[in-house]
Amino acid sequence: MSDRTLRATAGIVALAGIGVAAYLTWVHYDEGALVCVAGGGCETVQQSSYAEIAGLPVALLGLVSYTIVLGLIVWDTPYARLGAAALAFVGLAFSVYLLVLQLFVIDAVCVWCLANDVLIAPALAVLTALRLRT
Amino acid sequence: MAGPKARRTDRPSRTAVALAFGIAIAAAVALVAVAVLSRNDSSSSPPTANPVVDLAGIPQAGRVLGSPAAKLTLIEYADPQCPACRLYSEEFFPTLVREYVRPGRVRTEFRGFPFLGDDSVKAYRFLLAAAEQDRLWNLAEALYRNQGAENSGWVTDDLIRGLAAEIPGLDVDKLFTDAERADIRQQAESAGAAASAAGIGGTPSFLVVVGNEQPYAVQFGSVDQMRAALDDALSG
Repeated sequence: MSDRTLRATAGIVALAGIGVAAYLTWVHYDEGALVCVAGGGCETVQQSSYAEIAGLPVALLGLVSYTIVLGLIVWDTPYARLGAAALAFVGLAFSVYLLVLQLFVIDAVCVWCLANDVLIAPALAVLTALRLRT
Repeated sequence: MAGPKARRTDRPSRTAVALAFGIAIAAAVALVAVAVLSRNDSSSSPPTANPVVDLAGIPQAGRVLGSPAAKLTLIEYADPQCPACRLYSEEFFPTLVREYVRPGRVRTEFRGFPFLGDDSVKAYRFLLAAAEQDRLWNLAEALYRNQGAENSGWVTDDLIRGLAAEIPGLDVDKLFTDAERADIRQQAESAGAAASAAGIGGTPSFLVVVGNEQPYAVQFGSVDQMRAALDDALSG
């Protein structure tokens, strides 16, 4: 895969991450969504005591992180690539923690969180890491 | 933008890469540590015996709180483990009681939808048992105030015994006996299916019934929104 393709794919994945994180941030703050849904879980996860870190919604941290990664992908200097890969790695590690929480602690799985933790964060980490080799 | 050749020559050194990923690992560990340490764990709060609202003097009959002559019935489908139900109990229930139920304008009916797990079903069994003594709403309010992490086993006999002992007029021994009754177990375990069959998809869900009219759904988003929905129904 060429570097150009890797860069474009990483940008698309980062955009997907921004979309999911923006939705989950909206769910966190939206008063109209105060409901626990059978077979859903986003509201349960978002209203759990794990949904915030020091008062900041986890989803908002994700939104900021994905935006920075996208900015670094667009900037695309060698050190921007390194920064994107390092930040994506932090995101991947934290996603693993969030996945463990959903499956074994909160016992509620949010499909959008799952999409982030299983698909978007790992894909972004791999793509940005691969770009360090090109 | 730098060309491919420039990128190759400007490529970060192995030391820089190692340093960046070392910082990344440290940042990830720090993030998880902050997340764990800053977590507001409601399950660690000791049970309190200070109700958010005074229900004394308000008629209760089974699962219904309020005057039988009230014009409007607000049916609530709830799961005692649901954080959104706790929010409703803490944020709107006191207003509902003070402004609508106590003056005899509204009565409210509790219908369990214990879908979140075993703690939900156990809590609902005890709520149904409390309903046998017309104290369901007192115990529901107390459970929400002491709600723990989902399916952590927070609905312990000790917790319920402690909360029940603070509710005036509730026979704690009878409560525990009734909670083990086969009919109450069956009712609690089949409540989820009954709610789903009624088209309820989550909790808390609300139906407004005015007189003999058809029920219609309202959603809890905020105190003002819920107050407006009730005022609208009462003025119609």
